[in-house]
Amino acid sequence: MAQIRGSCETLCPDTESKMRIRENLLHFYELKNGQKKTPGILVKEFTRSAADVKMPKAKDMRTETSLTKTVEYLLKDIILDTRKPYHVAYDFIFDRLRAVRREIVIQVYDARQTIPLLEPIVIFLAYSRYRLCEESIEKFDPKICNQHLQECLTGVLRCYDELEEQVAPTDLTIRQLERRCLIESLYQIFNLGSPESFVRALSLPDYVKKDPIFNLSFGICLAYHQGNLYRVLMGLPRLPHILCAVASTKLQAIRRSLLQIFTHAYNNKQLTVPVPYLLRLLLIDRPDSLQEQCRHYNLSLAVDRKAVHFNKTDFNNAVDPIRPRHETFVESKLAKVYLPELLLLKKF
Amino acid sequence: MFATVNNYLSSVLHAIEDYDGEALGTYMSLRDVHVQNHNLYIAQPEKLVERFLKPPLDEVVTAHMKVLYHLAQNPPDYMEAYNQQAAACGAVVRLLQQLKDENWCLPLMYRVCLDLRYLAQACEKHCRGFTPGHILEKAADCMMACFRVCAADGRASEEDTKRLGMMNLINQLFKIYFRINKLHLCKPLIRAIENCTFKESFPLPEQVTYKYFVGRRAMFDSNYQAAVEDLSYAFTHCPDRFASNKRLILIYLVPVKMLLGYLPRKTLLQRYDLLLFHDLALALKAGNVKRFDEIVREQELVLIRSGIYLLVEKLKFIVYRNLFKKVFAIRQTHQLDMGDFLSALQFVGVTDVSLDETHCIIANLIYEGKIKGYISHAHNKLVVSKQIPFPPLLST
Repeated sequence: MAQIRGSCETLCPDTESKMRIRENLLHFYELKNGQKKTPGILVKEFTRSAADVKMPKAKDMRTETSLTKTVEYLLKDIILDTRKPYHVAYDFIFDRLRAVRREIVIQVYDARQTIPLLEPIVIFLAYSRYRLCEESIEKFDPKICNQHLQECLTGVLRCYDELEEQVAPTDLTIRQLERRCLIESLYQIFNLGSPESFVRALSLPDYVKKDPIFNLSFGICLAYHQGNLYRVLMGLPRLPHILCAVASTKLQAIRRSLLQIFTHAYNNKQLTVPVPYLLRLLLIDRPDSLQEQCRHYNLSLAVDRKAVHFNKTDFNNAVDPIRPRHETFVESKLAKVYLPELLLLKKF
Repeated sequence: MFATVNNYLSSVLHAIEDYDGEALGTYMSLRDVHVQNHNLYIAQPEKLVERFLKPPLDEVVTAHMKVLYHLAQNPPDYMEAYNQQAAACGAVVRLLQQLKDENWCLPLMYRVCLDLRYLAQACEKHCRGFTPGHILEKAADCMMACFRVCAADGRASEEDTKRLGMMNLINQLFKIYFRINKLHLCKPLIRAIENCTFKESFPLPEQVTYKYFVGRRAMFDSNYQAAVEDLSYAFTHCPDRFASNKRLILIYLVPVKMLLGYLPRKTLLQRYDLLLFHDLALALKAGNVKRFDEIVREQELVLIRSGIYLLVEKLKFIVYRNLFKKVFAIRQTHQLDMGDFLSALQFVGVTDVSLDETHCIIANLIYEGKIKGYISHAHNKLVVSKQIPFPPLLST
């Protein structure tokens, strides 16, 4: 089968624009200044391959440059659009980026072409996973987001491996190498506790292994496998923004494990454990958050609320961990970055 | 060796007429002497082969001769050889489907699949332009097609069923899945064997290999008790003359057993050239956390290459336990100061450890049942059980 090369230089092929304008199928972000029916900038929608759909023509596919432009437009302009809540923007961007991913596949891009397109998608999904972690299930489905994130991550990793076969690391720019290190670290943190990802970490090229961010991420994973949750928890806040955000989606489960360990270790009817010590170890910044943890897992507080009783029979094993939420130490890191720069991996 | 192509082909025909799977396998092998026969290197042997053989066997032989042809090129065309071998494998699948209630051709299937894997490995090594592991994965797909035919053959009697070929194929697939780090794919294969009513009647060499891989997988899933059982079976049933295989088994068996509290004998390690574990065992026994870390760092590459890095790192909490047990032996009391444990850690050379971390390490040891007792945070003391403060590791 001959490879198709896209020839469309805009964000949305003409056929689709005409059809969607005619049928009134424009998304909020595709309307001009929010006026009804006045088209603004359209972006190609995601559609599934199906038996009754013809193979797309070259003019219905975008060129590499215009795919790059699409990704940049979505992650620079739409992401900063504050007219609607973030989950609306997420849905829109998610769908449009999925269309980009599909075109990468149909046009059979090689590793060198795929990597710069997929990397921002990975970061966007990772960021959204954190940003929307407090939303209700109707607005955001963390499971689907995780699935796509994992899929994109493994896709980029496959490209790195392929590229490594073809060119020596010395032929790549420092920027490219740094971006790879960040994505490899993200893969480790996102798959905290999985033996498969750990095995990958061990076989990576030296320049990744020696990267300080990767080293830190790897150290956290290693400590997790060893069962040293203290090191995991102390390492988390030292991670850079996006990694820190992804890690914090795992934090509630880690807190739960540590509390469970403590119910065995400090198991005593008379004795208590002071609140400041627990706050420090569990990375909790407010006493009322700790109280919430105690209520959730059925641990009792001392009368003066300055200490916690641990009792292994009382601990509620059956409940799921508390849902992930925005953590202060992550928020303060994210507040310092300009979002498009973060998502497009311009700065980290 | 055969003088001419016709000689070769009529020998193949005889093997088929005699239902001699072994001989047929040898004639299709890339490790047999006939591969050195230049007369067999033919780019398009279809017409010749058709005169002797009926489909789908003619396709197997045709593909085999093409493989020989491509490998004889300078440089050898591994990719094309692999493609032809995959075609041979596909033809074998059709052959298997045709031969109902017969399994004499299993040795042929083994041989073709084995060579397919070797060629896939050669492609991975010599050819460029695809993601690493891709060709091996494709080879695994071909073998899975064989596997499905074998596994579905439930009606034939126990002697004639092709299900007897399952374990050999599974072992091949294991080798691929372990190489490309896709261990989750092993699960359905293991289930197929476990559900098999005659799982004891597979040949011993296959069982040894099978147990070796199943044990390694159990190890990966942190199912150490099962891993020890499987690996021990493999080790004791593997004949002594296969010293390198026994060594391979030990590489996994020793650390898993260490995790359960057994320390290896030095003589055993010496015999199999595995003294690295002796050093580890000494550090472990002494509770020397620093020395333990040092050995792991020094031997990092060896440990990674053998796939036991993570396992060895998991021994670290046992090193802690042994160190803390010494603190107890020195203090001779059931109320131990937490500061003493911190001092012990610092004494063996761990510099970056705090009292908080010491608390967490001990808490984890209590949680895992490696220490019996509780911590009093207010008094900063660990209170240990009067009966068995440090239970034997096997029971935890």
